[in-house]
Amino acid sequence: MIFFDILKLALRNLREAKLRVALTTIGVVVGVTVIVTMVSFGLGLQRNAVQRFKDLDLFNEITVTGQDVSELVAQVFNRGGQGGGGEGDRRAGVRRTRPQQPEQAPKRALDDAALAEIARIPGVEAVEPTVEFTAYVRANGRTQPQSIGGALVPNPASRFKSYAAGHMISDPTADEVVVDSRFISDFGFAKAADAVGQTVELLAPLGAERNPKQPAAAPQDEQAKQGSKQQRKANEDELSFFGLPLGDDAETNAQDARLTVRTFRIAGVLKDEVESGGVGRQARFRGLMPAARLYIPLATARELSHQYRDPLNEVALQLARESGALSAQQAEGYPSVIVRVNDPDVLTDVRKQLTALGFSSFSIVDELEEIRTFFLIVNSALGLLGGISLLVASFGIANTMIMAILERTREIGIMKAVGAEDREIKLIFFVEAGLIGLAGGIIGSLAAWGIDVVANRLAYRFFLQPRNVSFINFFALPPYLWLGAIAFAIVISIIAALYPAARAARIDPVKALRHD
Amino acid sequence: MSEALLETRAVSKHYQMGATTVVALDGVSVEVREGEFVALQGTSGSGKSTLLNLIGGLDQPTSGEVVFDGRSLAPFSKREMARYRRHAVGMIFQNFNLIPTMTAAENVSLALAFGGVRGRARDERTRALLERVGLAERTAHRPAELSGGEQQRVAIARALANRPRVLLADEPTGNLDSTRAHELLSLLRTMVERDRLTVLMVTHDRELAARFADRTIQMKDGKIEQRMRDEG
Ligand SMILES: Nc1ncnc2c1ncn2[C@@H]1O[C@H](COP(=O)(O)OP(=O)(O)O)[C@@H](O)[C@H]1O
Ligand SMILES: [Mg+2]
Repeated sequence: MIFFDILKLALRNLREAKLRVALTTIGVVVGVTVIVTMVSFGLGLQRNAVQRFKDLDLFNEITVTGQDVSELVAQVFNRGGQGGGGEGDRRAGVRRTRPQQPEQAPKRALDDAALAEIARIPGVEAVEPTVEFTAYVRANGRTQPQSIGGALVPNPASRFKSYAAGHMISDPTADEVVVDSRFISDFGFAKAADAVGQTVELLAPLGAERNPKQPAAAPQDEQAKQGSKQQRKANEDELSFFGLPLGDDAETNAQDARLTVRTFRIAGVLKDEVESGGVGRQARFRGLMPAARLYIPLATARELSHQYRDPLNEVALQLARESGALSAQQAEGYPSVIVRVNDPDVLTDVRKQLTALGFSSFSIVDELEEIRTFFLIVNSALGLLGGISLLVASFGIANTMIMAILERTREIGIMKAVGAEDREIKLIFFVEAGLIGLAGGIIGSLAAWGIDVVANRLAYRFFLQPRNVSFINFFALPPYLWLGAIAFAIVISIIAALYPAARAARIDPVKALRHD
Repeated sequence: MSEALLETRAVSKHYQMGATTVVALDGVSVEVREGEFVALQGTSGSGKSTLLNLIGGLDQPTSGEVVFDGRSLAPFSKREMARYRRHAVGMIFQNFNLIPTMTAAENVSLALAFGGVRGRARDERTRALLERVGLAERTAHRPAELSGGEQQRVAIARALANRPRVLLADEPTGNLDSTRAHELLSLLRTMVERDRLTVLMVTHDRELAARFADRTIQMKDGKIEQRMRDEG
């Protein structure tokens, strides 16, 4: 008997018991719906996470760290001591907490020569040093200490691509600034567009600009935020020593003649979505770059960061120069730079070269394998839930098939009498079960797709839209998922039919055909 | 001996019923030649159906062997047995054993499907078979819409679907009135004469046996009692 005839027979048998078959199929539908919905949610999470990584350039950027001045000092003055500089030195350094500490301590400072060398590594598209400092910022009639970062202009990274209003700083020497959305709210602008074109002033003590090599105190260093109260107190003492009018009434004294003011024009307001690395407004990183409220052209930022250097750091620099570890002509290195490669595939090679040059590096790709494993576990757990419901459905299939045997005993006897082989009897049952699995799989996948669509709509309507977030698809429904689910449903159904089919094939035709 | 199309050699069939053994057949040897119409008679429980099922390949004997066309069925695998049932013999029963949810044509077509006949050839052969048993007009009827005589004709058409040489009939007229019974046996007789079909038929009815069969085999308590040779 050809398969087509078996198929016709199976379809006919299913039609004969419509209600029972429908109920059995519903069991499969539920199982498949649960599997596909769950796993599509897990895959959606994964896709969104990976997409976010891509958006943040995390697949083609590397953070490179070099020796900073405090490490240089530690090396010189603690030579022969036990194990170099203590943790205290490290804390005093300008380095900020990174997502991950590099495995290897850097052996070289990231000075301009080093940057040029890095730029020559094949595959490197851009080298963007990390420059950041904190300064009192005045805008829209308010004055607040804010973190300020340097940005390469023009900038190839996606962190400077999307703007709520305005655009990127127009050229490397422009007195322009881009700000983030938190800046907008902190400085009381109603909306992003209102800020574009407005003036931002960075305040510095009068002496600072005239003599950049002299210790210049930042009004409030970021270290103070992390540090103990004592340190903050110390800072404030120093500040009052330098005669800076600081404190609660800072805004009222904004026009004080002892302050120098550097003026910038707001070119653009960055979109929030590019931030990461923290919860909500506490974002600490923009891609691999430490997050700042304002970004100004790199060279300007570099220059200003020296003015805002904290005293501890200034001491470290002087010590380094006195010891000869850093010559008078030699500029101190950047704490870190972000290296952008033109292709994620060359990232590993570039990192090897960076290590060879004596730098430490970090890239999110290191974590990628763990992220994959994490999602594999999540998706398996979600799939398992669905698998269990499908398992329950398989008992329904087995039950339906056994009922069918009882009803069709005579029919099976007749088929055997006219020459059906055991194999063919079994096949009819397998095809019937397979059809139930197929129907359940298709309907279940469609139902899961429907749930995905509805859940996305609801999430958008009641969760995202009120928060002014654009539509996000929380689910991923790749063909392999629903095709796999359908195949799985068919396989489970056929397995459920193994016993009933074997029992049907064993039917004794003599008994089946006996008429009383 | 060698001309026999169908032969049983000392066939016995025992059924184990708990502690007791029921001897349904006890060393039965019969021969049927090609083109013969043989009646099998005996009281109820004498083992007629059991013998027919063994010859039809639906069951295996406890001892002895069934030989068809010079070949013993004893060494046949299950699969070969299915082929044998499909192509060598056709069976009909007292209660017709048609599939109630299928039309006359579908019942016949099913047997052809198992015989590997497909497509138009199958449709054509189905029609020809139903025409041959006088049911050309009834092909689309389900068993419940047909009389007993008509149902048995459908059963005959189905039994002969894959051109077997032997038709095994277990009390085919048991559920028919005498007029329908006569009609049905005339049909079988015609097939024996015209197509050299071989018929082995179980019947209670001495009169019918005497009238349509070439000879009658008498059974009692699982054994052959006597051989009767009617005209020839
Ligand atoms: N499956 C079976 N199990 C036990 N005994 C059976 C079975 N089939 C038939 N028999 C017994 O074998 C004997 C012969 O039965 P059967 O061939 O049906 O007789 P007949 O068809 O001549 O009326 C009877 O006594 C019957 O009870
Ligand atoms: Mg009987």
